[in-house]
Amino acid sequence: MAVVAPPRPAAERREARLELAWRGRPGLLGWLTTTDHKRIGLLYFWTTLVFFGAGGVEALLMRTQLERPNNDVVSPSTYDQLFSMHGITMIFFFIIPMTTGAFGNYLLPLMIGARDMAFPRMNALSFWIFLASGIFIYISLFMGMAPDAGWFDYVPLASRAYSPGSNIDFYCLGIIFNGIASTLTAGQFIVTIFTSRAPGMSLNRMPLFCFAFLAASFGLLFALPVLTVDTVFLFLDRNIGTHFFDVAHGGSAVLWQHLFWFFGHPEVYILIVPAFGIATEIIPAFTQRRMQAFPLVAIAELLVVFIGFGVWAHHMFAVGMPTVTMVFFAAASAMVVIPSTIQVFAWCWTMVIGGGRFRTPLLFIVGFVFMFVTGGLTGIMFVAIPFDQQVTDTYFIVAHFHYIIFGAAVFPIFGGMYYWFPKVTGKLYFELPGQISFWTIFVGTNLLFFPMHIVGLLGMPRRQYTYPDGLGWGAYNLAETIGGFLTAAGIVLLLGNLLVSWFRGEEAGPDPWHGPTLEWSTGSPPPEYNFAVIPKVSSAYANWDHEDREEDRRRLEQGVLVLDEGNRQVAVTPVDGHLSEIVDMPHGSPWPILLALALSLVFTMLVIERYGAAAIMGVLCLLALVGWHSHEPAEETA
Amino acid sequence: MDVAARPALPRRNGPTAALLGMAVLVASEATLFAAMIGTYYYLRFETAVWPPRGVPEPKWVVPVILVAVLVCSSVPMELGSRAAQQGRLAAARSFFLVALVLQAGYFAYEVHDFADQLRETPIDRNAYTSVYYTLLGADHAHVFVGILFVVWLLGKLAFGLTPYRVNAARVITWYWHFVNLLTIVVLATLLSARA
Amino acid sequence: MTLRQLGILQWLGLLLGAGVWVAQHLIGSGLTQADCGAGGAGWGISNDAWQAALALAAAALVLSAEAAAITVFARTRGAGFGDGPPSDEGELRRTRLHFFAAASIAANAIFFLIIVLDGVASIVATGCRQG
Repeated sequence: MAVVAPPRPAAERREARLELAWRGRPGLLGWLTTTDHKRIGLLYFWTTLVFFGAGGVEALLMRTQLERPNNDVVSPSTYDQLFSMHGITMIFFFIIPMTTGAFGNYLLPLMIGARDMAFPRMNALSFWIFLASGIFIYISLFMGMAPDAGWFDYVPLASRAYSPGSNIDFYCLGIIFNGIASTLTAGQFIVTIFTSRAPGMSLNRMPLFCFAFLAASFGLLFALPVLTVDTVFLFLDRNIGTHFFDVAHGGSAVLWQHLFWFFGHPEVYILIVPAFGIATEIIPAFTQRRMQAFPLVAIAELLVVFIGFGVWAHHMFAVGMPTVTMVFFAAASAMVVIPSTIQVFAWCWTMVIGGGRFRTPLLFIVGFVFMFVTGGLTGIMFVAIPFDQQVTDTYFIVAHFHYIIFGAAVFPIFGGMYYWFPKVTGKLYFELPGQISFWTIFVGTNLLFFPMHIVGLLGMPRRQYTYPDGLGWGAYNLAETIGGFLTAAGIVLLLGNLLVSWFRGEEAGPDPWHGPTLEWSTGSPPPEYNFAVIPKVSSAYANWDHEDREEDRRRLEQGVLVLDEGNRQVAVTPVDGHLSEIVDMPHGSPWPILLALALSLVFTMLVIERYGAAAIMGVLCLLALVGWHSHEPAEETA
Repeated sequence: MDVAARPALPRRNGPTAALLGMAVLVASEATLFAAMIGTYYYLRFETAVWPPRGVPEPKWVVPVILVAVLVCSSVPMELGSRAAQQGRLAAARSFFLVALVLQAGYFAYEVHDFADQLRETPIDRNAYTSVYYTLLGADHAHVFVGILFVVWLLGKLAFGLTPYRVNAARVITWYWHFVNLLTIVVLATLLSARA
Repeated sequence: MTLRQLGILQWLGLLLGAGVWVAQHLIGSGLTQADCGAGGAGWGISNDAWQAALALAAAALVLSAEAAAITVFARTRGAGFGDGPPSDEGELRRTRLHFFAAASIAANAIFFLIIVLDGVASIVATGCRQG
């Protein structure tokens, strides 16, 4: 299905011009100044893998500690830092940046037929800020001052009186710093989806993957500011002497929880909605069928996040709120199940009527549906307020959210790694080790997380660094630890398989799966300009519309919408996707990394309480911004 | 040049990426303030006497007048933006300059007043003062950012008008409409303590 | 009805229900916070009456959004959801209207359920007792 074959002189000449215009700088400098969404996606991918490894090691250390009663592999204070950093890492430094940063950045422009994001330099800025925030918060771990009040960092434990060290300051600043990166990515995706689609791709012809990422982006955009406010309040309480959370001076400790969970629950859906998006790509590819109930799946992806904003207090049913307040959150929590269920039925039905080639990516999706339904069934139990109050802060909760966050959010990430591996590297992965890695991870995670339900109901509390003998918890915990290491082995096999395939795999060609969306219509790996001609789109499964792809080839011949004079792409109207203008894109810039550097100096000064110096570094940020905007794009001529 | 740049399809006018980008920023900032205003009312509902004893009620005459002056700067901003879109460079410069004078005057007085209030009633007195100063300070910070935008814009306009600068003028004008609205909402929230 | 009018109805169907639920959720839970907090206890808020009025108004608005969505869906019958190339501008719009109308019908049904559950439960639950 290659767009380029058979090449003719005019088409070749145009492609050569595009090649020249979009080529990045060579070497390290090219990576540091890149604005190419594919390179930024890869940078995100490698960085988040490192953080995934760190979070995984933290998890294995905890499992080793809990493997038997009265164990003392790590000290209680180390254990506190381990579970806090595990949560922070997996949520803020693995899943969000892996889904939005890596998958979203790499694939979104390809799926909508664009040559880059709407704001390419801001995209680079987002990555460098993300990297700096990760380094910032991990420095605290190596200094033995890592956040240690849990990933949701409740006051009063996190207040200055009970956490006198810098641990929580690192938490507050690290979270705010990281939030800037995620907000930039979210805003980027929203604007890109609404303005940079190929002409003809009206919203109802947009792939479901893009709906999912649109939902996640809206979620981040409206959830993160609330977390920022919350952590700013805590920072002020700890360092300036304000009393937001100080009950003795009219503040409220529950206020922290309200603000935190107003962010925290949408966050869970932000983690999982991209996984839905990945599932809605892989299922059509391996069943060779369009998703059933397309409009319902699209709205369900958006609704999950939207209703997810109204359920936050169900994390606080045990904290002491009036019942009349709690029922509002119980009702919304019960109903948010409906859009999730709509999607589960649509996935299953598409697989049932389509049959399916159960290759590794689809296996991960089947595993994902199983884990999501299991985790969802325990999730809906928490709507029953009395039950929730019984199991709050026990391992039952830990079991539930790991089924969702690992089983449902990470399985599709693994499936997606296999699925898009041929696109990104141009090589095929090895199928048999792939399937073995799936079964290892599937058995491992269930062995790891299922017994947690039981010990939770037996009363084992979370966040305890050890437990006494004679409670009957030992065997379950041992099983969990074995499951943990089995899962780790499966993940190592997965990554090893991909690594070996990268060097030894067979050539994949542009479209090994006969995939449904536009990324499969261009080369593997895609050229830097993505598409030699802005593609014609008339349905959400554009790569299956052969007439349109023929039309692309004719357009390349005739020079229609090739836009080979400089770095250009089209802008469209937000809803119906009519061509609106032709825009010049920035291409390569040193300012994003410089601005991120200046910003990390600001946060470093803040954490060592040098506020004057922080202000001076803030001026540096402003100078970097002025420099950034000194370059104006060439004027539109078309 | 060959025919490469000629589009094959009819065109429609749509919002530019810059305008949408500003809309996204405004949405994010509005959420930030919604969270702070939510905090204000949450604390108020939990506190028997508001403002607590020993803390003066917020003054209203001067702040209301000042905010009215600030809000008036939306007019020269809008006129400046339109002048820029019509290519009238000199007019655009003067309108933005007038707006800048109003905004900077407001900001200078408010910063002075903020420092005065802090001397009288420090921020670490209780939860009321915490949320009062934080909300007000965050609003002032947004006015300050807006002033930086206008200064930067005037700096750019000193070297002529380009489509890029016209776009910037439109976007910054949008930001100022938002900040002005925000200032009204913040003031109304803070003055509700008098009710 | 013209396509333009249907377009307005389509956005109404998509956005009104969502907005109404947000308002009802925030005002409703906020009212209980005010009524049960030390600051608002003396304001004499009649929680049950307010909640009932709020839920009824919200439910009525969501139902009208649902009606708008159903109208658009019915008037664009046969347009499809946009599975292939549109023959002209009118068909392009009709497929989009049909698509969002179908989506809104599902969304508003869910919003309606939440609002009714909220309304009933907040009246049945007794006062500020912590359960």
